[in-house]
Amino acid sequence: MLAYLARRLGGTIPVLVAVSMFVFGFVHALPGDPARLQAGPEASPADIAAIRTEMGLDGSIVEQYLRWAGNTLQLKLGRSSKTRQPVAQVIGERFMPTLWLTVVAIVWSTVVGILIGVISGLNRGRWIDRAGMVLAISGVSFPGFWLGLLMIGLFSVRLGWLPTGGYGTWQHFVMPSFCLGVGVAAVMARFTRSAFVEAMGEDYVRTARMKGLSERVVAWKHTLRNALIPVITLSGLQFGFLLGGAIVIETVFSWPGLGRLLVDSVSFRDYPVIQAEIMLFSIEFVMINLIVDLLYAAANPEIRLK
Amino acid sequence: MRNRLLATLAVILPLSLPHMASAAGDVVIALDANIVGLDPADLNDNLSMTASRTMLQGLYGFDKDMKMIPVLAESTDASADAMEYTVHLRHGIVFHDGAPFDATAVKTSFERAMDPANGLKRRSLYDPIAKVEALDAATVKITLKYPFGAFINNLAHQAYAISSPKAIAAFGKELSRHPTGTGPYKFVSWQTDTMVVEKNDHYWKAGLPKIDRLTIRSNPENGSRLASLQAGEAQFIYPMPPELVKVVEKNPAIDVVSSRSIYARYVAMNTLRKPFDDVRVRHALNYAVDKQAFLKVVFNGYGVPLESVLPNNLSGFVKQPAIYGYDPAKARALLAEAGYPNGFETTLWGGNSTITQRGMQFLQQQFAAVGVKAQVEPLESGVAAAKIWNVKTPAEATTLMHYTAWSASTGDADWGLRPLLSSKSYPPNLFNTSYYASPVEDAAIQAGLTTADPAKRAAAYTEAQAQAWKDAPWIFLVSDDNIAAKSKKLSGIYVLPDGQMLTEDAALN
Repeated sequence: MLAYLARRLGGTIPVLVAVSMFVFGFVHALPGDPARLQAGPEASPADIAAIRTEMGLDGSIVEQYLRWAGNTLQLKLGRSSKTRQPVAQVIGERFMPTLWLTVVAIVWSTVVGILIGVISGLNRGRWIDRAGMVLAISGVSFPGFWLGLLMIGLFSVRLGWLPTGGYGTWQHFVMPSFCLGVGVAAVMARFTRSAFVEAMGEDYVRTARMKGLSERVVAWKHTLRNALIPVITLSGLQFGFLLGGAIVIETVFSWPGLGRLLVDSVSFRDYPVIQAEIMLFSIEFVMINLIVDLLYAAANPEIRLK
Repeated sequence: MRNRLLATLAVILPLSLPHMASAAGDVVIALDANIVGLDPADLNDNLSMTASRTMLQGLYGFDKDMKMIPVLAESTDASADAMEYTVHLRHGIVFHDGAPFDATAVKTSFERAMDPANGLKRRSLYDPIAKVEALDAATVKITLKYPFGAFINNLAHQAYAISSPKAIAAFGKELSRHPTGTGPYKFVSWQTDTMVVEKNDHYWKAGLPKIDRLTIRSNPENGSRLASLQAGEAQFIYPMPPELVKVVEKNPAIDVVSSRSIYARYVAMNTLRKPFDDVRVRHALNYAVDKQAFLKVVFNGYGVPLESVLPNNLSGFVKQPAIYGYDPAKARALLAEAGYPNGFETTLWGGNSTITQRGMQFLQQQFAAVGVKAQVEPLESGVAAAKIWNVKTPAEATTLMHYTAWSASTGDADWGLRPLLSSKSYPPNLFNTSYYASPVEDAAIQAGLTTADPAKRAAAYTEAQAQAWKDAPWIFLVSDDNIAAKSKKLSGIYVLPDGQMLTEDAALN
């Protein structure tokens, strides 16, 4: 197990190096001069030149990359060229709001999604199945901002139950995590249903039935457990995506998260922040994949040997 | 799209204001973007300058009509050659950290902003200054490198706001996180998208401020910003999207406040390029655009058509003859006379916000009616920087038509004309994207710059405006209003014509 873990961890290093090169190259290939943007419309060319030097934008692209990579390895992330705050602080302030929103959204949507999926799978072809799937299709199809504004109009403006936006108490979580989770729950439901229906036809399910186990035990213990493996993968992937911040939801609900930060940083060509943020997302993704694989390995010893 | 949805919603759902009580004396302002910093010498966006203005003041400032007023200064004597300015300071003022406000504090604050080693964004505004001397505790003498008649207007710019010398020494590069001035409010916190300031109990103006706490937060989505006002979470929102005004007009708890701006919105035509090198073509396009309709379509009627190159509200404005009325027939005749009987094809550049794109699409239709086929290209800010502002020489410029707007941040005619119309102001130096060059214009702008005599300056700017109006390097469009909305209980918050805000008099009843 440890050897497997070590091998897998070692395998992430080339991935991260490749990602870092790609990110750096991509960010620097964007049109637009960050020094010019930082200096503002009324700056003189001399001001802009001074800012360019201060931002470390002199030297060849390879030199710049090596300098940045070296600093990043020592966790020296530099300062935002927009706000001049340390990058670690800029990202740190927004990391927890995004993480919490993601966790809340993933937890409720996974539970609800699996429930709907199982109920639909058990009642395949009946009205309850159709209702579940209509709900799921609607969930995927609702545009986030539309749902968000609709909810704000109802729950904040008309009823006054929930705050329109911002980050703080549990009330602030209700609408954004709902809007964020709706799509995930819908995908989960559809995925669980098809995995469940497929598992129902397997031999071990027939065996279980023949052993005289009740339908409930067959469904929840034998079928669901096997159907869950692809669902875990999906859940992990969705978690990774959502950790990248949800731009629309964050904008509608004034949520101080990473998605808005990335968009703002890109339009300002805030290289240090863009690079650090995308590296963070890559590391998160690699780690989540690793954890998902480890869960498999724990479940199925064959995977460890490969 | 989103806005229309919310508008529909608000019509469907009868509005009732919930009672989300905020503590008495707390005011929340919701704006459309995040604060970038709080060090006044390092800011170039209105929103951050507004935030810094709650805490930091300059020698001069503006009243709510953007008339320049002395703030920390009592008066100033300018030498006849506009080279030396002696400023007499107000007595008995202290900074939030207890340091006294005096001539040395002014010198320290200015010299910090001027020092290239500090790399502050607003150093160019300090460029005219050769030296700052503290003559005595309450007198500062500023000597310039060259004559500059509008220098006192620079002193009123937020970039000249004075930070405590104690804070400058203590915080160095971190001053932006520890704003310390003489203003009505003291800094409490600034995290991600929210800044909180509280009442300065030792404020030098008796009876002010009238509220205990002021929060400025960002709420980028138009619909949800308005919702935060409707729900009582915010008491003031800016900007108020013009297309949503109808939604709140009938709400008894909300006032929509519109005020004239000093924005001049125009299309710069590259006068070095065919066909715009021909003045008849430039005149033709001015006749081709119905400015009233433009105002209605793009800004829901909030604003006025431009009547000069300067907006009506800027000091130095002189109304020009109304020669560019909507007249497509005349436009076609002029185009034919210039050798374009079937019009021509061109490209119109501008920003990528919804409202800007709407403006460009309207212009496209108006041009098409006189045979000019314009391709609309909204540019993202970084792309615009590369394509428009970082162009090294006029010959390299590929700008043809550029839809843009300008507000003179010093509130003075010089900064409304020189960056846009002087032949020394071509990109990358400044903002003259029409590459307009006229010896008469240059001489008039220079004459206004090099004297402090108000009569001479007025004469110079009268001439500069007349010349530019005649030569028409721009399609003169509109000066659109600033629209805000507020709770009826709130008074004393004003949006200045340049889009910054004053919060000193804020009061709740």
